[in-house]
Amino acid sequence: MDKPQISGNTIIIPSSTRFLADVDEFVEGLLRDWGTSASVIADIAISVSELVNNAVVHGNKASPNGVVTVSMRREGDTVTIDVADEGTGFNPAEIDDPLKEENLLKEVGRGIFIVEQLMDKVDIAVSKRGTTISISKAIA
Amino acid sequence: MKLSDRIQDDVVILEPKGKIMGGPDASLLHDKLYEYIEKNQKRVVIDLAQVDWMNSTGLGILISGYTTLRNNQGELKLANVTDKIQSLLTITKLVTVFETHDSVEDAIKSFER
Repeated sequence: MDKPQISGNTIIIPSSTRFLADVDEFVEGLLRDWGTSASVIADIAISVSELVNNAVVHGNKASPNGVVTVSMRREGDTVTIDVADEGTGFNPAEIDDPLKEENLLKEVGRGIFIVEQLMDKVDIAVSKRGTTISISKAIA
Repeated sequence: MKLSDRIQDDVVILEPKGKIMGGPDASLLHDKLYEYIEKNQKRVVIDLAQVDWMNSTGLGILISGYTTLRNNQGELKLANVTDKIQSLLTITKLVTVFETHDSVEDAIKSFER
C-alpha cells in the first residue's frame, strides 16, 4: 500500500506521518458534513492527529509495511473515532505526567494527555493484532 | 502548513499558516527556526495569527526553539495566540513557559525593555 484508501467512513493510510494531512482532510470533511462547529472540529482533529502520529511512530515503528486505520461513526450527537495500528500496545500508566515541573520542557510525551483533555471519552484496547484507541465527543 | 519569515527591527518573525500537526510541514517550521538560530539571530517571534491549530508536535517545536534560544542567551516569544492554541497552552501548563503578546509589534517592543 503506497497511498491512503478511503471506504465509507474509514481511511487507511500507509504507516508514515506524510499522510497526516490526508487523515485530517478526511476527518474534518466528515465532521463538517455532520454539522460540527469549528471549535469541536479542531478538538477532534487535534486528537486524531495525535493518535495517528503515535500509531505510526510508536505503534507501527514507522514500518513501511504497516498501516493505520481510522474509522468514524456517529451515534446520535456523539462521534466516535477508532484509530488502529499493528503494534504491541503501550501502558498509559508508564507515560510521565507532562504537567510535572520536571517534564514541562520535554518536547514529547503530552499527546495522549491532550487527547484526554479535548475528548469526552478515551478507550484503549490492546490485542495481539495491534492497538485500537477509541475517542468520543459530543458534536452538538 | 505554509511558512513565511522576515526580519523586522532586527527580530526574526516567523509566520506559519494552517495546521501544525507533524510530518513534513512541521519540519519546515523546525528547520527555519534553526536556520535563524544557526545564523546567530537570537530574537524570534512566532506569529500564530494564521495557525488554525497545532498538536503536541507543534508544541514540541516551540519548546525546542524556546530552550535552544534561552540556552544561547536568546529569546522566543509568541504573538497573536488564537483561542484554540491558548487553550492548549493552558491545559499543558506551557502558558507558564511562553511569553505571549497581542501583536507582533508588542512582541518586538518587549525585546527593547
